[in-house]
Amino acid sequence: MEILRFSGTRSLLKPFSNTNILMIILVTALCCTGLLALYSASLHIDLPLFKRVIGKQFIWIMMGGTLATIIFFIQRKVFLDTAYFLYLFGIVLILLPFILGKSPTGTCRWISIGTFHFQPSEFMKIFVILAIAKYLSSADISVSDFRALMVPVLFSLVPMLIILKQPDLGTSMIFFILVFPLLFCAGARLFHIFVILSPIISILTAFNFYTFFIWVVLLILVLYLSKEKLWVSIVLLIFNLSLGFATPVLWNKLRSYQQNRILTLFNVNADPLGAGYQIIQSKIAIGSGGLFGKGLGHGTQTHLKFLPEQQSDFIFSVIGEEYGFAGVMFVLILFFVMIMILLTSTYRLRDRFSSLVIIGIGSTLLLHVVINIAMTIGLMPVTGLPLPFLSYGGSFIITCFIFVGLVLNVNAEKPG
Amino acid sequence: MFRSQNTVSFERRNILILIVIALFAVLIGRLYHIQIVQYSRFVGIAEANRIRIVPLEAQRGIIHDRNGQIIADNKSQYNINIIPFEVRSSEKTYNILGDFLGLTKNQIQRRINHNWRGQFSPARVAEDINFKILTNLEEHKLDLPGVLYSLEPIRSFPSRANLPHILGYLREVSKEDLKNIKYFGYRAGDLIGWKGVEREYESILRGKRGYDYLQVDVHGREVGSLQDKEKILPKPGNDLYLTIDLDLQVYAESIMGSKRGAIIVMDSNSGEILSLISKPDYSPNLFSGIIEPSVWDKLRDNPDQPLYNRVTQGTYSPGSAFKIVAAMAALENGVVDSNWTVRCRGKYRLGRRVFKCWRERGHGRMNMHDAITNSCNVYFYNLIRKMDIDIWADNARIFGFGSKTNIDLPEESNGVVPDTEFLDRKYEVGSWTEGNKLNLVIGQGDLLVTPIQMARFTAALATRGKLVQPHVGLRYYNKELNKFILFSTEIDSIEDYSESTWDFIQYSMFDVVNHRNGTARSARVKGLKVYGKTGTAQNPHGDPHAWFIGFTKDRNCSIAIVVLVEHGGSGGSTAAPIAGKLFRYCYEKNINQMIVSSGNSKI
Repeated sequence: MEILRFSGTRSLLKPFSNTNILMIILVTALCCTGLLALYSASLHIDLPLFKRVIGKQFIWIMMGGTLATIIFFIQRKVFLDTAYFLYLFGIVLILLPFILGKSPTGTCRWISIGTFHFQPSEFMKIFVILAIAKYLSSADISVSDFRALMVPVLFSLVPMLIILKQPDLGTSMIFFILVFPLLFCAGARLFHIFVILSPIISILTAFNFYTFFIWVVLLILVLYLSKEKLWVSIVLLIFNLSLGFATPVLWNKLRSYQQNRILTLFNVNADPLGAGYQIIQSKIAIGSGGLFGKGLGHGTQTHLKFLPEQQSDFIFSVIGEEYGFAGVMFVLILFFVMIMILLTSTYRLRDRFSSLVIIGIGSTLLLHVVINIAMTIGLMPVTGLPLPFLSYGGSFIITCFIFVGLVLNVNAEKPG
Repeated sequence: MFRSQNTVSFERRNILILIVIALFAVLIGRLYHIQIVQYSRFVGIAEANRIRIVPLEAQRGIIHDRNGQIIADNKSQYNINIIPFEVRSSEKTYNILGDFLGLTKNQIQRRINHNWRGQFSPARVAEDINFKILTNLEEHKLDLPGVLYSLEPIRSFPSRANLPHILGYLREVSKEDLKNIKYFGYRAGDLIGWKGVEREYESILRGKRGYDYLQVDVHGREVGSLQDKEKILPKPGNDLYLTIDLDLQVYAESIMGSKRGAIIVMDSNSGEILSLISKPDYSPNLFSGIIEPSVWDKLRDNPDQPLYNRVTQGTYSPGSAFKIVAAMAALENGVVDSNWTVRCRGKYRLGRRVFKCWRERGHGRMNMHDAITNSCNVYFYNLIRKMDIDIWADNARIFGFGSKTNIDLPEESNGVVPDTEFLDRKYEVGSWTEGNKLNLVIGQGDLLVTPIQMARFTAALATRGKLVQPHVGLRYYNKELNKFILFSTEIDSIEDYSESTWDFIQYSMFDVVNHRNGTARSARVKGLKVYGKTGTAQNPHGDPHAWFIGFTKDRNCSIAIVVLVEHGGSGGSTAAPIAGKLFRYCYEKNINQMIVSSGNSKI
């Protein structure tokens, strides 16, 4: 079986469509911005450049670039054929930390091989996208059938629950949300998507009587208007109601830091030294940046360590403080253009699998960007989601570059 | 099995794109709001985040006596403060800190709340900690984020004299004072003068607090000083020089011993108070830092009232010492002349009441001079019968009775000089009788004076009518102008009396001390002409209060002395000997030379 697509140098240049060139420029610009912010954040650390986070990050970017290049040359059919196998492999990987034992902090997020640590849940994002894309593009299912949607939902639900147990609330959320743009674009009925979403809304609204009441009214209205079979409506209604009543009971079984993380979403100032403290300090950092920022190395919030997690989750705040509104707009425009390119490029693609993979990748990047930035400006709780290409962290950087490799690969093919 | 066609709908992808645009719009809008609209607010918070303003407490001015001896000095004490914002785990921090300080967690929390000045400002939790605690805290510094110690100056009193009523004391500024515009700039927890010269000369003594600006990281660790903000050094307060002669004060305190009462030694010409005692007193060291509530309660509730300044706040019946007022009023208003005589048989009958002279067998025939030297009551009973009570009251007021002397000590009493209007108000018109007059003329009844009023009166007798403003503040050294500034005082003169009246009074007062029959012979000093008058004021609480007022006009010693011994018995036997010792001391010390030299030149 032929794995690599191209044999000669002549055909090697052909795949560099405008989309791919733009993509490479965007990724390079984002990585450089990230390195600059990391340089600033590690300015006062007295280590040789390559032992600091910026040096390590640079190595990972190089590794990621190499990996993306390799993926670019692999036949797309290989991904299609191995998608389910990769998914199972991924499940084993995210279960492995539970078998190998907990880390000193009591979490099961990491796999250590010698001095090298990686987070399998990051790679799982790729596998889930591939598996769902493959399933939704197979010819023998009908997306208008509700039962057919259960498989992709299961594909996302299984890793989600495992990762929730690690525990990593932010990442597990990504797995669950990810399935909706894929189902939506694959052509699932809106009523079906609503049915899948309804238990989540039941849980979220269950904490307040009035919100839950409004939700139940809305639910009944939708069920009525959709003109589904009566028994379907009744089962759905009973299911959602019982979920709503059970939630407050289950809530108390959540870990307190998870409760806090969720609660601070609603009132940031309630817990100034807990999770809300980070958000306050991040807002101060970004807000005090003003239009053009304080300049490289002059961010007091960053350098006096008021800003927490400034190398990973809050790298955006470093940019906001040191480069101001101009700096964050630059980053936002890069991300916006990247995601728009991804989504619009699917118009030209020949097959459904490629299209869904790109939509999955685009949605994943979008979710990371929006949730991470929203967190730094106090619109969302601290979820621990990194910012693609900018946040420090090997596993996620390499995952992002695998995304890039897949995007380049898919776009290399001339539209049919 | 695989759909090779791209069957993803365009319409749904367009909806996805709209969602992306909407999400980015929200992010950009929020960033614009934070970075552009609320920019100045966040810059302010970021500044406060990185700057720790450390107050540098200024030394209070040193208080000297007139000769430059130090009465109140400063020493340093270590205090513990907490910056609430920087305390990460209050539970842990307070427990560790509490172990060192011997406080419970709740006590620490209460102190923080009491001294709260905001999240980022240090709140006092302990004062004057010893070196051992300090080293312990230093060792556990990393476990105690937000806990700071500061070096602050407090008062120390190196002299052997107590004089707490002159010095007053420092306490934490009260809520009322914080609202007072006069004390603008004070913060809760600051020390302020509450009594005495510490209060009166607060603005002179108080220094100006300095500030150090430190750049700190999130753990409260100092990472350097700020480039763009200069440290402001504290400015110590100005040094104050009192009119007190410390040696005389120590001597006076020693001869007063454990007696209760008051002593004033004053320069007759200027009103400078050389010594001032109010007994019982307390050690000023109790107030060197911030006084413990238990000690304070004990002082406040003490039935002997040590906090009470008897010299300025205490009102007493002056007793016979006040007969001089009646004599002068009579002479000046032509009621009688000094040759007018009365036979004293030891008692005076008014209707059914009998008013006694202090000498039961009587003094016999007396003129005014003899009546003063012998302090004969019957003579003055007869005298006042011939006189309008308001004339007597007017003369008392001429000497400043019934009104404040405006001494530079806070909380002075007015005293009471009863006149017709007063008696009418108190007893209703017509229901008071001549008997009230008889009591008043011998310095009893409703008449109330303060010892400091008596001192002013005595000085006026000595100087033939100079009505001085008694004062304890002599001058201060202005550190900005680099020179001494003398406090000015007002001196009124009494023009109402003729020379012959003055002559007669002084001659009579000389004989009170020096005549064979004088009541104050125990105040005599060999080689020094001492003038005086005793008083023995009956009171319902026990033995009579013993008074002596006296003065000297010597070239080397021209002072006025007032001695009051509460429940001391007769003025001649208790108060006069004390005054005599003081006169002798001042005479031997050549006190006048000192007054002149310290008042006019730099030290």
